[in-house]
Amino acid sequence: MVKLAAKCIMAGDATVGKSSLAQMFRSDGAHFQKNYTLTTGVDLLVKQLTVPDTNDSVELFIFDSAGKELFSEMLDKLWEHPNLLCLVFDVTNEQSFTNCAKWLEKVRVQLQGSTLPGVLVGNKTDLAGRRVVETSRAQEWAGTHGLEYFETSVKEMENFEAPFRCLAKLFHQLYRERLELFHSLV
Amino acid sequence: MRVVDLCLASEGTEVILATSSDEKYPPENMIDGNSTTFWTTTGMFPQEFIICFHKHVKIERLFLQCYFAVPALRQGAPPGQGTPHRRPKGGQEVRGIRIEKSNAKEPVDFERWVERDLVLTEGQMQMEEFMFRDGYATHLRFIIKSAFDHFVSVHKVNIEGISVSSLT
Ligand SMILES: Nc1nc2c(ncn2[C@@H]2O[C@H](COP(=O)(O)OP(=O)(O)O)[C@@H](O)[C@H]2O)c(=O)[nH]1
Ligand SMILES: [Mg+2]
Repeated sequence: MVKLAAKCIMAGDATVGKSSLAQMFRSDGAHFQKNYTLTTGVDLLVKQLTVPDTNDSVELFIFDSAGKELFSEMLDKLWEHPNLLCLVFDVTNEQSFTNCAKWLEKVRVQLQGSTLPGVLVGNKTDLAGRRVVETSRAQEWAGTHGLEYFETSVKEMENFEAPFRCLAKLFHQLYRERLELFHSLV
Repeated sequence: MRVVDLCLASEGTEVILATSSDEKYPPENMIDGNSTTFWTTTGMFPQEFIICFHKHVKIERLFLQCYFAVPALRQGAPPGQGTPHRRPKGGQEVRGIRIEKSNAKEPVDFERWVERDLVLTEGQMQMEEFMFRDGYATHLRFIIKSAFDHFVSVHKVNIEGISVSSLT
């Protein structure tokens, strides 16, 4: 039995629903922030997930910040040594999707050589009539960047846990791989 | 006075704190004299452990057998895999290990002793060696500030030195 601890950073443009997603997950669907407020500063949300078919768990330390800090020093500090990435865009906002490449680049700078398991989340699927980013396109982009793809509607409380469950699973997998590596050393 | 390995559970040495632990890879694995058994960190850095000798010792040489590196580049790997090693902005190297020591009866009043950046080795155990002259201690605290990868293993802490006196 082991309890892993992972620093998960939320990345993506402002207003795509990063904070809503993280908070919804944290509170098990207990509240959806109706009014728009740009996240000020940093929020740290902590939640533990058990890994299916094991006695192990992963404690996620979710670091959320306002998207306006795209090029700030503060973000550099906040994003130091991430273990997991949750990259979010809004399926009704083309630019939020194309900007994902920039976010990924920004995250890479922090990595200093290590891998970063991550997910891409297309949020606001409830606004079906205004959708501009098709599932297949997002899926493909995620695939080429080694990210797993999920679609959510935080508003409708749909699928909001799945990306985090996946992240926990990925981190646990990475741990198992490293254990094998450690065992193989002589 | 005979130079011995001071860092063995069989000599009464204990790991009294470790920030992370997997039941299968407990911190005692670092002081069992066997380098095939190991302790792993289980996530976010920094990570630390404290070794208590239960006596006053004088350390001459310390070896750390560990693995701090990132594995070789794989195809289709997640983002960032294989990105070259670069120093973060400001030139401050944040990856590395710091060793602190204390001469108190309890694990308190630690003073900074040595600090070392990590070197990147792949698929191979690392052997970090430290030499000391002012090696008096009762406790050692190892702080792994961060590494090249998400997890680190420490296989063996080997400390050569002499027993000075018992704690009074
Ligand atoms: N229609 C709809 N609105 C959402 C959804 N998720 C978040 N929002 C709204 O989008 C706005 C921005 O959300 P917020 O979480 O602050 O975005 P952040 O800047 O990325 O953290 C808020 O008004 C939310 O209520 C969703 O799934 N559907
Ligand atoms: Mg926000």
